[in-house]
Amino acid sequence: MNKEYFQQLDETLYKETLPNGLDVYILPKKGFSKTFVTFTTKYGSIDREFIPLGKEEPVIVPDGIAHFLEHKMFEKEEGDVFQKFSEKGASANAFTSFTRTAYLFSSTGHVLDNTKTLLDFVQQPYFTEQTVEKEKGIIGQEITMYDDQPDWRLYFGTIENMYKEHPVKIDIAGTIETISKITADHLYECYNTFYHPSNMVLFVVGAVNPDEMMDFIKADQAAKTFDEPQEIKRFYPEEQKGVAIKERTLQMDVQKPKLLFGIKASNTDISGDEMLNYELAMQVAIEMIFGRSSAFYQEIYENGWIDESYSADFSMEQGYGFTMIGSDTVNPTELSEKIKETINSFSSNWSVEDEDLQRIVRKKIGFFLRALNSIEYIANQFTRYSFNDMNLFDVVPALEKLTMEQVKEAFQSLTDDDAHTVFTILPFEKNND
Amino acid sequence: MFQEFELASGVKLFVRPTEQFKTINISFKWKQPLTVEKASIRAVLANILQFSNEVYPTNVAFRKRLDDLYGTVLYFDTTKKGSHHIFSLNAETVNDAYLSNEKIVDDVFSLLHTVIFQPNLANGKFDESIVKREKEQVIERIQSMYDDKTRYAQQRLLENIRPNKAASITSNGSVGAVKAITNDQLIDMHQVLLTKDDLSIYIVGDVNVQEIKEKMQSHFSFADRTKTIEKAVDVPNEANDNKFLHEIQDMKQGKLHIAYQTPITFFSEEFPIMQLTNGVLGGFSHSKIFMNVREKESMAYYASSSYSSLYGLIFVLAGIDSNLQEKAVALIDEQLKALQAGDISDLELNQTKSMLINQLKEALDSARAQIEIYDQYKELNASFTVEDWIEKWKHVTKEQVQQMALTIEKEFVYFLSGKEGAVNE
Repeated sequence: MNKEYFQQLDETLYKETLPNGLDVYILPKKGFSKTFVTFTTKYGSIDREFIPLGKEEPVIVPDGIAHFLEHKMFEKEEGDVFQKFSEKGASANAFTSFTRTAYLFSSTGHVLDNTKTLLDFVQQPYFTEQTVEKEKGIIGQEITMYDDQPDWRLYFGTIENMYKEHPVKIDIAGTIETISKITADHLYECYNTFYHPSNMVLFVVGAVNPDEMMDFIKADQAAKTFDEPQEIKRFYPEEQKGVAIKERTLQMDVQKPKLLFGIKASNTDISGDEMLNYELAMQVAIEMIFGRSSAFYQEIYENGWIDESYSADFSMEQGYGFTMIGSDTVNPTELSEKIKETINSFSSNWSVEDEDLQRIVRKKIGFFLRALNSIEYIANQFTRYSFNDMNLFDVVPALEKLTMEQVKEAFQSLTDDDAHTVFTILPFEKNND
Repeated sequence: MFQEFELASGVKLFVRPTEQFKTINISFKWKQPLTVEKASIRAVLANILQFSNEVYPTNVAFRKRLDDLYGTVLYFDTTKKGSHHIFSLNAETVNDAYLSNEKIVDDVFSLLHTVIFQPNLANGKFDESIVKREKEQVIERIQSMYDDKTRYAQQRLLENIRPNKAASITSNGSVGAVKAITNDQLIDMHQVLLTKDDLSIYIVGDVNVQEIKEKMQSHFSFADRTKTIEKAVDVPNEANDNKFLHEIQDMKQGKLHIAYQTPITFFSEEFPIMQLTNGVLGGFSHSKIFMNVREKESMAYYASSSYSSLYGLIFVLAGIDSNLQEKAVALIDEQLKALQAGDISDLELNQTKSMLINQLKEALDSARAQIEIYDQYKELNASFTVEDWIEKWKHVTKEQVQQMALTIEKEFVYFLSGKEGAVNE
């Protein structure tokens, strides 16, 4: 077992890669009552085209299947896995994102028993046509719930505007129509391809004895049989540089318009240190120009063009990425023009001082140290970083080394007009209220 | 859980030293009885104090100062608890130990003093343009509830069952009351915070108790309070003639919100038993409502119950297809009836105990949750500990849960959905 001490953070991380290819990480946290365990596969909604395990030809599976599979993992021949966790006082959950499916629990006791339940239920699939059909009603209600959430529609509408081909534009849960086509055979095919231990990470954080836990996991995995690890062949379509749609509006039953200004990232085929530095430089640039201490923010706030819903963020994974700036606003046109004007103005005249950079870097270091109080944040983010060949605990040193040149260069990638798009949600015209 | 000190009459300091966190959390909570007018004034005042102060008279200057202090989080907030309105100031700052050669904790204490005692005034008033804009921001916050259909449906339910009572008054007040606020009222309310409101101050982190206590005494001088605040509970006996309301919006899912009343409150001897009863009914994913409405009938993605103990209310929420409302209500009714008939297995009782225990213990892993839990439970017992509370659950029997279930009475069904007969995609 590897042991690494991060002095500045006062954290010790234990790691081992098991013979079946599973990466196991353990991070003990002193003073904590609970243990949080996540078991994550590098498989999300964008993995819709791939060569199934043992086959030759690529297939395209129905949209929403990774999320559907996540739901169905909880049902077994002997009943619902939640029941088993409840008996041992563990709250269990799962989520599916564009690139990952994570299964997790937290508990303050019976930690080894609960870890066993987690490993077993994720590694023993059980799907029948009957249980698959039953789930369609439940997920149908989940999809309808999101359909009624204007902020979700705004977020997804903006991604749809940006991407023409890449499956990031497809809703993670699919649609009622696409999930109606899902069968038990599909689920087994996806499961067998993507749930091999060599495509997964187990992360344990909180109240835990690392030696005891590692031995327990090793014994459990050694007692199970798995196929030889194979490289997974995934296919993503060629994506154009510019956005697919420049501007779109949607009417919903809301009280005030909502605007999101999206900027498609140009440089996303990266990983490791390159990704870490680019991502941090971009986040710092966005915070400097569009954050709450920026001149831009103060002006639009004092103009009354934004409210407390304002946000400006950058996020990326390998193959896609975007900046999103927006707010609920009674002045969507003015706000969108001001964002564009601000980008252009900093592009032609980079009026940023060194002390601005230092201030934002300090702010981000503080944010990171606060986040390390949350064992959920550590487990989820660490896994995301490791799937992209980065280390979460490198964030502070990387921030400290960040140069103005890197930040400026990251910002320059926002300036291409073809990469800009706007999505607006408008209230219905009122006539009978 | 916390060590308690009295800084002045009605002003208490609660400190919990722990090495668990990399930050120090500080919370000031000013309490007074909840009314819609006062809630509105306090919500706007919170925004104004958040915007600027005498030392940092522009918002940019203030924000930059916070960034410089390693992104110290500092925000005013208004919430409610039972019949109390709580005006709070929360801060979280990095512990000096994690920074090379920097001391920021003292700077944060000075800043806290500034934001409380040195507002940005000209001729004894707040700047009119700031007042006008922050009133507008609070109005927009109140109106934005309409866009979140679950929150909106819950608020409509409360307005119907407890009109003009603490249960339905929001911590931001109302649009009408916010519009009517004057500069003088804001100034007066600020004085009330400094001299009259019941005040509790919480500090959690790797601190030296004696030092922190002295720091508080040297930085802050609060006046003695002459009046004490009453218990936060508000359980009016309401007889409702209307039992059902269906409202329509342009939306796809139906939002079902059912209210039940019970005489058992947070302050009742039986409170821990009622917590378990709600857990068996619908608090968890092994509970009767989740197992039947979601897992057995596939009618919903979410279906659960919650116990609002300061109002003597229990709510059941489910997101369902709009033409399944009657069927869902009947199914939920059956679950309560089963509980009242004593149909409770050992398994579900034990699962519920395990989950409640885990939930409470887990809360200790967040500094903010430690503060919130103690702030409420100290009303029952100043020497409250999580372990003592867990003991209360351990010995509860099925019969006791059944007795509690018999006190629960269905009061009102509220349903928000798209147009009747509209086809769901």
